[in-house]
Amino acid sequence: MAIGKRKKITVAELDRIRRRGAGPMRYYDLVRVSVREVMRKRRRYIGVLASIALGMAGFIVIITMGNDLKKNFNNDLDLLGGATIINVMFEPQNLERQEWFRDRTLEAIARIPGVLDITTVTLKTSAVTTWHDRLFGFNLVGCEANYWKVFSFNAKAGRLFDQRDVDEGARVCVVGADLARQIFGSEDAGIGQTLSIDDNLYTVVGILGGVRAGDRALFVFLPITTAKARVVGISQPYSAYVRCATWDDVSSVSKAVPGVVKANQIDRGLRVNVAWEPLKQVQRIFWWVELFIYSSIVATMILGGFGIWNIMMATVTSRTREIGLKKAMGALDSDILYQFLFEALCVTLSSSVFGVILGRVGIEYMSRMLGSRPPEGLFVFCLLMGLGFAAILGVGAGLYPSIRASRMQVVDAMRYE
Amino acid sequence: MSNRYDINDDNALVIDINHLTKNYVTAAGQITVLKDVNLHVRRGEMVAVMGPSGSGKSTLLFVLGLFQPPSTGDYQVAGVDVLSLSRDQQAIFRREMLGFVFQTCDLLENSTVYENLELPLIYAGVPRRERPDRIREALSMVNLDHRVHQPSNRLSGGERQRVSIARALVNEPEFILADEPTGQLDRENSLRVLEYFTKITEEARTAMVVVTHDAMTAEHCTRKCVLTDGYLNG
Repeated sequence: MAIGKRKKITVAELDRIRRRGAGPMRYYDLVRVSVREVMRKRRRYIGVLASIALGMAGFIVIITMGNDLKKNFNNDLDLLGGATIINVMFEPQNLERQEWFRDRTLEAIARIPGVLDITTVTLKTSAVTTWHDRLFGFNLVGCEANYWKVFSFNAKAGRLFDQRDVDEGARVCVVGADLARQIFGSEDAGIGQTLSIDDNLYTVVGILGGVRAGDRALFVFLPITTAKARVVGISQPYSAYVRCATWDDVSSVSKAVPGVVKANQIDRGLRVNVAWEPLKQVQRIFWWVELFIYSSIVATMILGGFGIWNIMMATVTSRTREIGLKKAMGALDSDILYQFLFEALCVTLSSSVFGVILGRVGIEYMSRMLGSRPPEGLFVFCLLMGLGFAAILGVGAGLYPSIRASRMQVVDAMRYE
Repeated sequence: MSNRYDINDDNALVIDINHLTKNYVTAAGQITVLKDVNLHVRRGEMVAVMGPSGSGKSTLLFVLGLFQPPSTGDYQVAGVDVLSLSRDQQAIFRREMLGFVFQTCDLLENSTVYENLELPLIYAGVPRRERPDRIREALSMVNLDHRVHQPSNRLSGGERQRVSIARALVNEPEFILADEPTGQLDRENSLRVLEYFTKITEEARTAMVVVTHDAMTAEHCTRKCVLTDGYLNG
């Protein structure tokens, strides 16, 4: 029988046992005991668990979907102010000195990081047309098919001409809404009609619509290829519009454009126009929104942390006798410290696992709503950040109660009622 | 440090206390609870410490269990001067050499018999594969090996106390301290517990100190000491 076998112990032996006892197996056992303890008393942790999980889910969704959200916001806010559209143009010069954008320059600008799209236009001011013996004057714009996308225009009636029309040099036009009403009496009445502009006939395929269409309500738009081939006196494409992915890109793109232009052609009279004021307002609004969201998340997490701290303090108090008993059985102070610390960690880490699952669901839902797909690497990064934060929260909130438990005197703990 | 403890001697001195005193400082002044206490317990001995309430029984138990230090005096366990040990050394000494049985048979809440007995083995760093055998052996000493996976809150009072004894035995201690071990048990269960104590001291030659004010418990012990006004007689 092993029980009752003879033991002789020395101080050196006690030290040797202490060193031997600090192996990984011991920590594995302590983690196992802690997890078991939390699982069995899970009801008391539900509130804290939900708080941290929600904070974590919010954190993951905001960080992972932040850029897509920003782009979406960007699109919506941009309709109001065009804050992310940069106008790059060559100032009017004498005819032989006038510069315009070459194709390679436009391609190079499109490659600048942060550029979403670029479109160029040709212009003829004071073009005229007659309709039922009445004369109408307007600005005639030759543009590419992506012009509509850059300015977020849509068709109020009919359709906007597309890449095929541009490639074929089709004789079609899009008319501004006010001009259509002046000429045809109503917007719809103009669709399918034929307009004579500079002795060429064009079929009206659509009426321009969109939040910013009011600026171009008296314009007529032709495919740029058609305009170049058929309109006498129309300018070269000396003006281009660059759309940035987000407002954060505007500054860097506007700084990069002059260098790119200079590297590809003569930059005489080049001017870069940025709507700084609307841009700053949008950035300010979003900064406050971001601040509010992050503050809410941090507040939720901190509240969760305080919750853990509070529960762990209550746990230590309610388990005082158990602590005394464990110390009587030979638990070192560090054993008690690690057990309570692992329990706090177990709560925060399991909360963060729930938070990750909730966050993933949120990301999937928002991805469908926004029609975009965030990079998977960003989600993994957020996941690791979240777990790291949960670990810090667990250690931070659980440390003091754990130290208190570990330093408890056995005699006080054993006498605790 | 003296270490004359003979491992092969079946009657070796396990507990050796000389001129031990314990004072408490209170608002009313200093109180001496233990006065010049001398206690010597050999292997296989079961010593009862009796005395009225407030006589210092619990204080003596806490000093014997290394829960609190005495004010003066010498205390050696199995040849080791335990009072000179550090806090961590004392904790290790407790788990290697001492076993405790408490009146309230403090078993861990919401846990099984196995988990209660496993805890001292975890602290002692006993490998996992060795634990089931050690636990079964300890439980078989108190005839509870069939209840190994039973939740502790479904045990009767007598069974809980037997689990508590098995837990004290599982680390193969040199001596066991028992505080009113039959205090909350009926006569039949008390007799069974005392039979196990006798078995442990006789078969395993473990030294035992039983703090009690129950005469029947004291009768089962090999020696009886009485603590009166801080003085230990017998």
